[in-house]
Amino acid sequence: MAMFEQHIHEAPKDFLSKYVISYDHKVIAKQFLWYAIFFLGIGGMMALLIRWTLAYPGQAFPILGHLLFPHNEGIVPPDTYAALFTMHGTIMIFYAITPLLIGCFGNLLIPLQIGCRDMCFPTLNMLSFWFAFISGIFILAGLVTPLGAAAGGWTSYPTLSTLVGSPGVGQTLWCLAIFSLGISSTMGAVNYITTIIVLRAPGMGYFDMPLATWGLFLTAILNAIFVPVLGAGVLLLIFDRVFGTTFFLAGAAATSGTGDPILFQHVFWIFGHPEVYILILPAWGIVSDILSFFSRKPAFGYKATALSMAAITILSTLVYGHHMFTTQMSPLLTQSFMTLTMTISIPSAVFFANWLGTIWRGSIKFDSPMLFSLGVVFVFGLGGLTGLHLGTVTTDLYLHDTYFVVGHFHYTMAASVLLGGFAAIYFWWPKMFGKMMHEGMAKIHFWGTMIGLNMAFFGMLLVGYGGMHRRLYNPFVYDYLEKLIPINTFITVGALLMGVSQFPFLWNIVWTFRKGKIADANPWKVGTLEWAIPSPAPVHNFDEIPVVKCGPHELGNPALVGKDYQMQTEEIAKA
Amino acid sequence: MGATITEPVHKISVEKDVTSSIAMTLTLVSFSMLFAGMLLGYAVIRFNNPIWPPMGMKSVNLFLPSISSVIIVLSSIFYIIFEKESFRNGPKRNLFLNLTIIAGFAFMVAQYIFWGNLKLQGFYVGDGVFPSLIYGLTWTHAGHIVLALALLIWLAWKNGKMKTEEGNLLWIKNIGKFWHFLGVVWFILYFAIFIF
Repeated sequence: MAMFEQHIHEAPKDFLSKYVISYDHKVIAKQFLWYAIFFLGIGGMMALLIRWTLAYPGQAFPILGHLLFPHNEGIVPPDTYAALFTMHGTIMIFYAITPLLIGCFGNLLIPLQIGCRDMCFPTLNMLSFWFAFISGIFILAGLVTPLGAAAGGWTSYPTLSTLVGSPGVGQTLWCLAIFSLGISSTMGAVNYITTIIVLRAPGMGYFDMPLATWGLFLTAILNAIFVPVLGAGVLLLIFDRVFGTTFFLAGAAATSGTGDPILFQHVFWIFGHPEVYILILPAWGIVSDILSFFSRKPAFGYKATALSMAAITILSTLVYGHHMFTTQMSPLLTQSFMTLTMTISIPSAVFFANWLGTIWRGSIKFDSPMLFSLGVVFVFGLGGLTGLHLGTVTTDLYLHDTYFVVGHFHYTMAASVLLGGFAAIYFWWPKMFGKMMHEGMAKIHFWGTMIGLNMAFFGMLLVGYGGMHRRLYNPFVYDYLEKLIPINTFITVGALLMGVSQFPFLWNIVWTFRKGKIADANPWKVGTLEWAIPSPAPVHNFDEIPVVKCGPHELGNPALVGKDYQMQTEEIAKA
Repeated sequence: MGATITEPVHKISVEKDVTSSIAMTLTLVSFSMLFAGMLLGYAVIRFNNPIWPPMGMKSVNLFLPSISSVIIVLSSIFYIIFEKESFRNGPKRNLFLNLTIIAGFAFMVAQYIFWGNLKLQGFYVGDGVFPSLIYGLTWTHAGHIVLALALLIWLAWKNGKMKTEEGNLLWIKNIGKFWHFLGVVWFILYFAIFIF
């Protein structure tokens, strides 16, 4: 399609324009990558502090405890515990996996996979990163304020998040951080959608795009529409906190003319449920492509997968009420939301079956990107199934606000998205940096992470089913929960294993930069456009804008001679 | 007979026009959702109160909001003329851009006086959800007007050296869309929170 001529710009030469204020989508992708890894480390550390407190209540956190909490004998204090789970959730969702999947891989893949030289609006792209950077400073600044960081949970429900529940400036900084990150996300979304619509290479229809680009496209649509709704919510919360309005202050609105805390929940979840899909759609797309590439087969039901993702995108906007079944919603509404939620199972089952169809009787190669992708298939299956219990009114009333919810969303949002992100890192690292990562270390990373996260998150489902509520500092003051301490210890061991398993990943990054094997242009032998250019990709991406002649998964065609794949720029081989 | 004066002498290439239109439409969708989120809040609170305004409060005096409405309509008309003048390289384009900016400032002054008058009438921010809605929604709108005014001033600065090349025309068109959008939002707010 490529609606206008794309000029080749001269490569920036000085450090500032090359690495800091860069307009190049690939450099911005790398900036988001380091940003995400930095916040993954901070969020992960917070998770370990939380898990230690639940496994060993009242005991000092080893080594770091005395440094961090010298006035409490190294034990995590209750108010800090609330700040920790709030910041852990916020950081992991908004500052780790969002920049990893959308910021990094959205920027890297969209121009490369659709065959253009950069985004439509490179300046907007650069601003998008720097708004995210400012937002990161806001969120971290909360940690050093007098009354500590935000502590009302990642959902920041009023009245916990109003001045009544959180008098400190930390919560206000949280609101500012989320608002500025929303501006960054919206800028990115406008750029991604416009670029995909107008700059696809000649011959590339929507159904010739790799599924990763499909996922990023649908995510950008959801971002452009629903992130501003969260913006509205946090803006009103800022007004309440800073200027004294009463939008969310508790009171019976019908009689006293005061605000309504439940209103924030509506606004939050109108954004919040699509947010789940904002995070997971790119991972689904990436996994769909990688399963095909490493099974050496075309993606089974490519169009059905793309259309299922589109259907889920639409349905995701209509189901937010299932987060609020316990807010005295009318039965008519709860049943409607329940039915719509169950409807999402249909397209989900379609593409899940397509994943299985793709690997069925494939010549599977178990390289690290494939292992992580198969990991996504497993954990997303489990996460999706546990979602049925929470989308159904009768079971949700029992499970609401228990650790079952925590386990469910860690399986879907944390495990699936993180494993998908790692699959993407190992797969596209050669194109980003021109070096191959160490495969052995990648496999240790995979198995440690996979075993650790399943121990942790499956354990959460169990203790939740046993009735353990989330967000309690010491749940074991209740007799009936005391018996769950061993399972909590088991979860913590899993979390520790998961944390320790990230060291091989970090070591792999350092090792790859120093001693990694130089990658050739197409080390995985696949046909999407980014693999038609050298590794790492040159500044202008393509010497000539490519002309697309076939789909992204032309693998295993018996008419091919001497190879089992063909590039998207080649005519389909015929016998 | 020569070319009539209404014919545009400067044109934007179709490709760039379509690209920027898609991006601007998406941007306006995002801004719309921000205001829609707030108006949803208004609707929930409004329809949960059988008596409105609640707590025995009086309705807001419509004089200043009506003045603001007239000003914002005028500003949009000025901008439309400025846009047409720019496309045909007309001599009055700077005049109408400056008039738009002056109208924008007049709107902000009217808003400032309006907020001051609200206090004089006893409507304070913390007095309940009714004043909160009026202040909160008008503040948000005014914040966007400030942003748009900054863009207009930047455009005027650019316009000083402008040769009406393609890039500038795209900016003129898109900033115009944003300005008119804020006018539409104002009228929705005007009818929703002041009249209805």
